[in-house]
Amino acid sequence: MSLTLFHQHVLEDHLSGFEAKANPNHLAAIRRPAIFSVLAHRGHEVFVKSGLASIEGVQVRDCAPGEWLVVSTGLGAVVMENTLAEIAGASVIDQSDGRALLRIHGPNVRRILAKCVAVDLHPDGFAVGTSTNMLCCHVAVNLARSGGDTFEIVVPRSFCGSVFEEIMEMGREFALTAAFADS
Amino acid sequence: MASLITCPHCGTRPKEEFSIRGTALGRPHPAVSEEDWHRYVYLRDNPKGRYQEYWHHAAGCRRWLVVDRDNVTHDVFGVTDAATFGRVGE
Ligand SMILES: [Zn+2]
Repeated sequence: MSLTLFHQHVLEDHLSGFEAKANPNHLAAIRRPAIFSVLAHRGHEVFVKSGLASIEGVQVRDCAPGEWLVVSTGLGAVVMENTLAEIAGASVIDQSDGRALLRIHGPNVRRILAKCVAVDLHPDGFAVGTSTNMLCCHVAVNLARSGGDTFEIVVPRSFCGSVFEEIMEMGREFALTAAFADS
Repeated sequence: MASLITCPHCGTRPKEEFSIRGTALGRPHPAVSEEDWHRYVYLRDNPKGRYQEYWHHAAGCRRWLVVDRDNVTHDVFGVTDAATFGRVGE
């Protein structure tokens, strides 16, 4: 992993100096999440999926058949790499320096996201724990519902500034604030 | 949203998430004549009505799909993963 990219958060120029008290609608940019891509080899999909589900302290995000993102704010990248390496029949790639993790939370979160994504996020169709790839602000991201009013977005690093600015614009009428967070 | 496509993996999505890659033709046998390969690579019938196309779900699961639709009414009759489609057609 590139150390420079890891230590300089992509949103540093967008956020530094603007950190205010969090409002009810708040967007957190996670400082140093560990994010890994896992692809199951053909025929190993079920085995790899159950292997991922048994790891503690990580969230497993669905991307496609046999493809997941494994996200953790607690485990470091090295620990995670070693843990994932034990799963047979899977290819594992460290994406921590190539993806950013945003967490958006608040009573108006669905109204805000409705302006950025074209997928119905009603809890009947997109329950807590659901995750999938989709377009958000014209960028292909992975969006997950981690709570009733909480969503987590994994954004490709180079697009993160643009996605961030657009979400903040969409959240302006709901007084959306933003800050870095460690976990 | 103008048209919605129901991806077998991701659910109902706007067409903006996909990239349309042309008619779902069967690949010719490697040994066929150059004329047949030319026809396969370059020539398209551009039919009006119901036909099958490759759609790539670029912003979702990134799987190749075969969308069976009518290009006049835009009725969608079915969406299958191209891997399954290929095996059925063999
Ligand atoms: Zn899909």
